[in-house]
Order: sequence, then structure tokens, then C-alpha cells
Amino acid sequence: MNLLELQSLLPQLILALGATAVLMGGAWLENRRFWLLCGMLLALVAALCAALYEPPLLEVAGMYSTSLYARFCTVVWSLTIAATLLISCRYADLHCFGGGEYAALLLFAAAGMSLLSAASSFVGLFIGLEAFTLVLYILIAFNRTDNRGAEAGLKYLVFGAVATGFLAFGIALIYTATGSFHFAEALAGLQLDGGLRPLGLAGWAMLLVAIGFKISLVPFHLWTPDVYQGAPAPISGVMATAAKGAVLTAFLPLLAGLGDAAGEIKSVLWLLAILTMLGGTFAALPQTNLKRMLAYSSVAHMGYMLVALLIGGEVGGQALLFYLVVYSLATFGAFGVITSWALADEEIQEYAEIRGLGYLHPRRSSALAAFLFSLAGIPPLAGFFGKFGIFHAALRSGYTELAVIGVLTSLISLYYYLRPIIVLFMQDRSAYQLRSGCREEFILLGSCFAAILLFGVYPGPLLELVALVLP
Amino acid sequence: MTAETSITFPWLSLLLWLPLLGTLLCLLWRKSAAACRYLALGTTLLVLLVSVGLAVSLETGAGGWLLFEDYRWIDAYGIRYTLGMDGISLLLILLTAFLQVIAVLISWDMRKHPALFFALVLVLETGIIGVFLALDLVLFYLFWELMLIPMFFLIGVWGHERRVYAAVKFFLFTLSGSLLLLLAIISLYLLHGEQTGVYTFALAALKQTELNFTQEMIFYLCFMAAFVVKVPLFPFHTWLPDAHTEAPAAGSVDLAGLLLKTGVYGMIRFAFPLFPLAAEKSLPVLAALALIGLFYAAWIAYLQFDIKRIVAYSSVSHLGFVILGLAAWNQTAWEGSVLLMISHGVTTGALFVMIAMIRQRTATREVDKLGGLWQSQPNLSAFFLLFCFASLGLPGLANFAGEILILIGVFSSQPLWGAIAVGGILFAAAYMLRLLQEVIWGPCCEPFDKSDLCRREWLILIPLALLVIWLGCYPQPALDVMRAPIQLLLQGGMP
Repeated sequence: MNLLELQSLLPQLILALGATAVLMGGAWLENRRFWLLCGMLLALVAALCAALYEPPLLEVAGMYSTSLYARFCTVVWSLTIAATLLISCRYADLHCFGGGEYAALLLFAAAGMSLLSAASSFVGLFIGLEAFTLVLYILIAFNRTDNRGAEAGLKYLVFGAVATGFLAFGIALIYTATGSFHFAEALAGLQLDGGLRPLGLAGWAMLLVAIGFKISLVPFHLWTPDVYQGAPAPISGVMATAAKGAVLTAFLPLLAGLGDAAGEIKSVLWLLAILTMLGGTFAALPQTNLKRMLAYSSVAHMGYMLVALLIGGEVGGQALLFYLVVYSLATFGAFGVITSWALADEEIQEYAEIRGLGYLHPRRSSALAAFLFSLAGIPPLAGFFGKFGIFHAALRSGYTELAVIGVLTSLISLYYYLRPIIVLFMQDRSAYQLRSGCREEFILLGSCFAAILLFGVYPGPLLELVALVLP
Repeated sequence: MTAETSITFPWLSLLLWLPLLGTLLCLLWRKSAAACRYLALGTTLLVLLVSVGLAVSLETGAGGWLLFEDYRWIDAYGIRYTLGMDGISLLLILLTAFLQVIAVLISWDMRKHPALFFALVLVLETGIIGVFLALDLVLFYLFWELMLIPMFFLIGVWGHERRVYAAVKFFLFTLSGSLLLLLAIISLYLLHGEQTGVYTFALAALKQTELNFTQEMIFYLCFMAAFVVKVPLFPFHTWLPDAHTEAPAAGSVDLAGLLLKTGVYGMIRFAFPLFPLAAEKSLPVLAALALIGLFYAAWIAYLQFDIKRIVAYSSVSHLGFVILGLAAWNQTAWEGSVLLMISHGVTTGALFVMIAMIRQRTATREVDKLGGLWQSQPNLSAFFLLFCFASLGLPGLANFAGEILILIGVFSSQPLWGAIAVGGILFAAAYMLRLLQEVIWGPCCEPFDKSDLCRREWLILIPLALLVIWLGCYPQPALDVMRAPIQLLLQGGMP
């Protein structure tokens, strides 16, 4: 590895080396807030560096690309991690988290996610995926006094290990068939007469199972609600947004590389998309716990994104990335509100606990309502143009049935998005006053809110940016 | 045309965004209820002033767009910010601006979260005006949905006993229609793009799309799904009685006076011109549903015991009349329909205002517990009498002019429909007279608050009453404004 290659990986190096430094420093100096803000600063520097610094090489070690697409993803994941660190400030104080470890682990996760979306070979993909999944195992159970957190961590570990097994096996099969780990060669080698070779098909099936676990597609989604419920709220936020987004963005060029031979894969994805949209939506209906509802809602949204993914090309890719960004903003914001409401010994999750809270904490409640409306796709919030893009792509590519199912599930989804809003604003007060929000939380929730409003009325710039970075 | 008019001052945008500015100010001053009240009143009055100013200063008799604005907005999908106002939009915007002032005044004593309440009323105004102005289908859809959230909260937070149920029902019903509309809009856009290579959501361009009959019918049905739910046409009306009954006074005024009109407006502005063949085929069905609704709703209204529900069902019945006029598809009937929309907005708005005042004094809306109001509150009862008579179509008062025009128009093309519809007026008389009899005459039930109208109430009722009389006796100015645009719409051509 020469200097040029290191330079090309500068953002990831900043994240990884910064994480190491924070970890070391955290052992000497026990100042929680300092290390969290330090970590946030590092993540911001990494994002800035990825956005502005032109890497000298196009590909590093045949494993990671430094294309615009990869850089865009790095920016987004780094910003997500920076936001997580910012919103965790008081949460970490309440739960006495070790500041150094927490910040370092999140930075490692950012490095892993950024490597995953930048992967251009199966080895790179595997390393990137494992790097941040391992970190998440720890972060989910980070609150050591919470039994539910430990249970969630274990659950994620077991499912994650199985998924890793499938992934490794799938990669092995593809390697056996083609003798290459590199995406371009391997994917070209898999094709035979405009279709996939049997070994390749088997490999892809394994890959799909692994990915299904990671982004919780129905029927591989069963871990999602339990893990989200048990994990600390900021970590659930990361898992629902960046962790899933990284896998999706890694998968997009992979599927595009198959070209016309992806017919069989696409028909499987078609089925998975329908199952996921319906399954997630119907499972979310009876929920009375905010985090579990958001978990199932994230499952349903993965279904929508799968529609865009399987359409692929310019239209699908644009719709996918735009959707991913606005979905992430809203979901992260919703988990941010839960973070901000958290008490020292428990989080406020049940609907019964937030009755009438809308008038005690008007700003955070309105923000939560706006995030939920955005997830439901109601204009003038950004979620509307996200769904608009996906339905547009589906109709344009002839997947009318997917668009119709998407519309129906959005309609049904309204029921479970409205419920917390009704509880917050339309029921009599039984909630007790919670802590008033601190400044960092307001800054972050305010920016999420402003962003979904801005992209809801003026999505043009984001759409253009997304179209620009597509591979 | 665009080049010439877009340089001038963007009056339409001003009209559209002024209420939203008021919303922001309300939220900023949320600590002071009085400030919010005056802000809301000031904003709505300003909007009314601007729209009246426009109505007076513009050459309203002419066809074509009186005002037009067109800017780039979202290039990636070819969505533009296109606003246009013709005579019909102008009348409906005048109605909106007027009724919003009434809605603010009637809620003057709002004690529960006043800032949020007035903020939502103002957002609603932006949504409604936007629907009446938008000429780009996506822009239209945005405003169409923008009306939902404030109304949902207005019903759900400030409504009566079963408010949450009514709010959710309203939201789900209207949204289910609109999502079909969204799918149809996108499909139409794609078809047009494939045919011409130009991807645009502009109404004028999409009208040129060549469709075979099946496609046209499917699109038309999807569009109508959104509009008939909002109107609401029988049998899609079941959300309306609940929403109207549970909504607070201002919410009922807005719902009946304005939201229902957006459905009719959507039909005449979008559904009919875009899909003329399908529309023509559907006219008998529309007429049949309108007639059924006319009688059915009137009959149900007669059987109600809640005075708010009586008026709510009377709205369904009147809107049936409006749709019947549209289905007759000639100039006179259409003029009658648009005029009846305006009159119905004023009279029904006034009736909901009166019901709120009666409820304030008697704490009930049950006809059984009401009666003999004339003895203690003659002024209030006199106004109630006037508006009830206007609503049942007494000659010389607002609804009569519209109804008679519709009947003349319907008779000239479909005498049978007209003959049936005449009976509807009789039905209207039946339930309205029953309402009058039970509330202001009959055995006296002591209201706990015997005060007659206060100054603010006079201020609300006098303009409403004047307008009711004016629209009934001399609707000519309104007819002049709508004549040319209706001619154009009936010929299927828009400027």
C-alpha cells in the first residue's frame, strides 16, 4: 500500500485513526462530553474531507472505489454518526456511558459503513460489513445495567452471525464460479448467455439472505423490533438509518453490475419487496410502543426502497438515494426525540406514557409529528417527494403492481403514524413533565425538521446531487 | 402571455403565502393569546382586502387567466410553480377569504391552545387558496394534501366528544381518494412524456395527451375518486356528517364552506377538461348519484336530532344539486352550479356559525332540548330564520338563484332529471322547517344564558346576512365574472 492509496482513503483513515485516538485518550481523561464532541468533530472533518478532497486514485487495492458515489455515502454516514454523537450528549450523561469508548465505537462504525458503500470487491464488502456490525453488537448492549439491552445485543449477535455465514458462503460460491473477488470481473464471469450460471445463482441466493437479514426484509425481519426496542435510542437511530443505508448503497452497484442477467434476482427482489411492504405495514398496525412501531415502519420503508433498488438504473437509483436520505432524516429525528425524552432509568416508549405530552413539550412533540407525517409521505414534507420518486420510477419501468401496493400500504401506514400523533395531541394529559430538552438536542432536531421541510418544498438540489453521484 | 404577466407584481403568490406568514408569526407569539387573535384576524382581513382589490381592479369579464404566474421549481421531474386565476377561482378565493375572517371571529374566545388553533386555520387558508390557483398537477396535489393536516388537527384537538374518531375518519377517507389521484397524475405524466418527449405536469400540456378510451376512463376514475370523496357525492359521503358534527365551529365553517368546494373545483378544472370523453360517458352516472344523494341526504337530515348533523346532511344534499348542474353540461346549469357553491358556502357557513352561538347559550345541540329561542333571543332567532330560509331556497335569498339556474339548465337538456330534482327543493323545505320549528318556536326550553347577540356576533352576522341577500337578489356581478371561464371550460378549451 503506497502513499497515494492511503491518501485516497483519507476520510476512512480519519475516522479509524481518530477512533483509536479517542479510545486511547478516553482511558486517560474521563470527560464524557469532551470525547463525544471530539468524536463529532472528527466525523465532521471526515465528512468535509470526503466532500472536498479529490482522491488521487480511482480504486484502492482493488477493494475500495473512491468514486463520487462512495464519497457521497461517506459524507452521509459520517454526518449521521456526528449527529448521533451530538444527540447522545445528555443521554450518555444519564446512563453514565464511557465517553471515549462510545465515541470511538461510533467512529469505527462510520469507517465500516463508509468502506462498505465504497466496496468494489467482495472482500471489501465483507470487511466493511463486519467492521460496523461488530461495533453494533457492542453498542446495542452498551447500557450494561439494562437487561433488555443485553437481550437485544445477543439477539442481534445470533442473527448477525447467521447472516455473516450466509454472506461468506455466498461469496465463496461466487468466487468458485468465477475465480475473482472483484465486482466487475466476478459479475461478468457469472453471466452465461444472458443469464446467471447455476453456481452464481446459488451464490446470489446466499447473498440475498444475508442482505435480507441486515436490512430486515420480510421474512428475515423478526429481530428488528426486539433489537430496536432494547438498544439505546440513539443506537436504534443509527441502525435504522445508516446501517441499513450502507448495505443498500453497497448493493445498488452490485445489482447494476449484473445488467440484463439479473432477471431471476429481480423476480426474487420483486417478491421480497411486496412481502416487505405488506409485512412491515401490517405488523406495525397493532404496535403500542414507539420504538417497535418505528422498527416495523423501517421494515416497510425497506420494502419501498427495494422497489427502487430492483428498478435500478438512473431512475431507480435516484429515487433510492433520495428516499434513503429523507427516510433517514425523519427516522433519525424520531429516534432523536425518543433519546431526548429518555429518563435516567428508562426510555419513554409506550404510547400510554406520552399521552398529552404535545402541550408539555410542544417543540419536540411537533417535531416528532412532522417526522411521522414525513414517513407517511404527506406533503409538504420530504417523505412525499421520496414516495413520489419511487412510484414514478415504478410506473415508468412498468412495475404498476408495485406502485399500487406501495400506495395501498402508504394509506394503511397512515393509521400507525397517526396514532402517536393522536396520543400526543388529542388525548388528555396523563404524562408527567419530562426533562426540558438541552441545546444540542434542539439544534439537531431543529436541523432534521428544517431539512425535511426544505426537501419537501424544494427537493431540486438534493435530486440533482443524487443524480450526479450515481455510479 | 407568460412573459408579459410574470413581470408584474406576483399578486397570486402574495395571496397564497400571506396566511402562512401569519402562521409563523402566530407561532412566534404563541405566549400571548390576544396577539395571536389579532394576528390571525389581521392576516385574514389582509387576504380579503387583497382579493377584493384584485376583483375590483381586474378586467373580470374577460375569458382567460386574469393573473398568471409561472416559475421553474423542480427540474428533475419537470414540475413547475404555475398559478393562474380565472373568474371561477376568483369567486372561490373571495369566498375563502371572507369565510376565513368569519372563522377567526367565531373562534375569538378560543381558550384551548389559541396560538396553535389560529396557526392551523391560517395554514388551511393557504392550502385552500393553493388548490384554487394551482395549474401544475403536482403543485395542485401538494395543496390538496396540505389541507388535510390542519383540518385533522382542528377536528381532533378542538372538536367535540367523538373528535378523534371523526378526525381519523376524515383523514383516511380523503387520503384514500387522493392517493389514486397521485398514481393517475404520474401515469398521465409518463404517457405524455413518452408521446411528446416533454416531461411536464402542466395542465395545459397534459390536456393534449392522446389517450385511448380505456386509459382515459381509468385516469378519469382515479381523478374522480379524489374529488367525489371531497364533494362528497353519495355514497362517498359517510365521513362528512361525523367530521362536520365533531369539528369546532371554525372547522365546520371551513369544511362546509370551502373544503367541499375544492372537490367540485377539481372536477371542473382538472377531471373534465383532461378527460372529456370519459367525463361525457359518466354524466348519467354522476347525475343519478347526485339525485340519489339529493334525496337520501335530505331524508336523513329530516330524521336527525342533532342540529349540526341536520345542517351537515343538508350540505350533502346541496352538493348533490351542484353536481347535477355539472352533469347537465350546459352554460346555464354550470353557472347555477358555481353560484350555488358560493351561496352554499355563505349560507351553510352562517348556519354553522349560528349553531355555535346557540350551543354557547344552551349547551346543547339536541333538538329535543331546544325550543322557543325566539322568546329569549329574538335577534339571534331572526338571523337563524333568515339563514334557514336562504338554505331551503326561498326566492330572493342566496341559494335560490343558483338552484333555479341549475333547474333551468337541467330542464333544457334532461327534463327528466329536472323533474326529479324539483322534488329535492321540497325535501329541503321539510327538514329546514322542522329545524326552525324545533329550535326557535315550539315549547320554550330555558337557555341558561339569556343574553342576545353581543357586538362581535353582530359583526359576524351582518356581513353574512347582507351577502345572503345580495347573492339572492342581484347575483349578476358574480355571474358576469364566471360566464367567460365557464364557456371556455364547456368548450373543453382553456387559455
